Amino acid sequence: MATAFKTVEPLEYYRRFLKENCRPDGRELGEFRATTVNIGSITTADGSALVKLGNTTVICGVKAELAAPAVDSANKGYIVPNVELPSLCSTRFRSGPPGEEAQAASQFIADVIENSQIIAKEDLCIANGKLAWVLYCDIICLDYDGNILDASAFALLAALKNVQLPSVTINEETGLSEVNLKQKNPLVIRKHPVATSFAIFDDTLLVVDPTAEEEDLATGTVTIVTDEEDRLCSVHKPGGSPLTGAKLQDCITRAITRHKEVKKLIDKVIKSIKPN
Amino acid sequence: MPLDHRRLRGPDESQPPALWAAGAEEDEAGAGEGEAAAAPRDPCALRPLFARAGLLSQAEGSAYVELSGGTKVLCAAWGPREAAEPGGTAAAAGGRLSCEFRRAPFSGRGARPRPGGAAEREAEREAAAALREALEPAVRLARYPRARLAVSALLLQDGGSALAAAVSAASLALADAGVEMYDLAVGCALCRDPGDPAGPWLLQPGEAEERRAAARLTLALLPALNQVSAVLGGGRGGDPEGWGQALRLGLDGCHRLYPVLRQSLLRAARRRDAAHSA
Repeated sequence: MATAFKTVEPLEYYRRFLKENCRPDGRELGEFRATTVNIGSITTADGSALVKLGNTTVICGVKAELAAPAVDSANKGYIVPNVELPSLCSTRFRSGPPGEEAQAASQFIADVIENSQIIAKEDLCIANGKLAWVLYCDIICLDYDGNILDASAFALLAALKNVQLPSVTINEETGLSEVNLKQKNPLVIRKHPVATSFAIFDDTLLVVDPTAEEEDLATGTVTIVTDEEDRLCSVHKPGGSPLTGAKLQDCITRAITRHKEVKKLIDKVIKSIKPN
Repeated sequence: MPLDHRRLRGPDESQPPALWAAGAEEDEAGAGEGEAAAAPRDPCALRPLFARAGLLSQAEGSAYVELSGGTKVLCAAWGPREAAEPGGTAAAAGGRLSCEFRRAPFSGRGARPRPGGAAEREAEREAAAALREALEPAVRLARYPRARLAVSALLLQDGGSALAAAVSAASLALADAGVEMYDLAVGCALCRDPGDPAGPWLLQPGEAEERRAAARLTLALLPALNQVSAVLGGGRGGDPEGWGQALRLGLDGCHRLYPVLRQSLLRAARRRDAAHSA
């Protein structure tokens, strides 16, 4: 009976739950799904992380390569993120070049990196104008059950914390670079941005960490990115129903709490692999 | 080169740091020799394989296979859905199986291949065709007329024997999706060292062995029916006797892997049962 109602009138079915201040999977409106992180599983990558947010599974692999810096920013390296939503993560995506959602997610991650200054690009430069690191961050979604932006941002942060770069020196006489693969240094992570996504229902209700079903029924989404000093890095609100200032303030407060939870989780995971 | 507007681009060219690794070449050669001399690998040793079915929530059937060399393959399968071109004569009297094989950009040990590049697409197409060849005899396509079955494999890390692992994962995923099959297709890879022209064939090579191999072979077998569904390989392998021996070794390897895959399917079915009744 309930499943029949759900198929015919999914929005009504959902509203019944929202009226009681809960959701079909039993969560409160402000509750996140169980989050797990696993780092360093892909040994061919310089850093990797696998994040599970409920059913949503995202893996991020970072590969570091060397290149000449751009002419107009001779002292900066590059960070190139790319989010891929392959056909295996959900039936809504077809195989082939990245679709709209993947491109939007890639741009969002690039903005997060830029706005939050998670890594100073100057740190990636080895020799001014001659050699710099390029960090290719490939984020692949393995299972799409909503809230891909949060999971991708989290996976990126965890993978970057896991990256070990070999030390590079430029030989004075020959001008060639020498790479020492045995000696590795971790990256300097300046800020820890964490994204929190909300779905807006009927212009008034806000629901945190939406699943794929909830995202389909929602009238809008908002993503807030905060860093560890409780400062706002970016607000991503791609259209959808309008929000009052007070509601936005609630979102920011919730995002700040979420940041603390996530930071604790990352610290625990990093500490667990430290004795290496 | 046409600009790829859909992906964020970095610099036009970049090289992996391993190119300039000081003394890396001598190190590797020394290590390789030391390894071979110190512990000559038993060519018939089958290394442990981890297989788990039923882990993705969005796909009808899914499987994850991990080999001890580090190869990690994730595969998802979808049951029959309407074929793209309706009607038409019964040119395809049975259903159609469409396969896709993707490599993650961070899966290889060397340089990161540009996603979307022509060489990349070509290699993926070849691997997808090989996958389809290996899986088609195992699936009862005649039971799904005018339907399309889809299989999508993603290689997360390449530690040798990638295609063989993908074949096993794909058949597990199809079985997990509830598609009717004659048998599971089990994949096994072999390679031969360039040093010794009459040397032994190694079963399930690791990444370093595969890279310097003179000849490679990938087999797919339907163990219960004892029928080979695909043989793929080439190289300078020596006389036909040697190839015959390699085939037998590979078939033996497939037979030994079969119980592991069946166990994982059984466990997945039990888990699903428990979840439904709970």
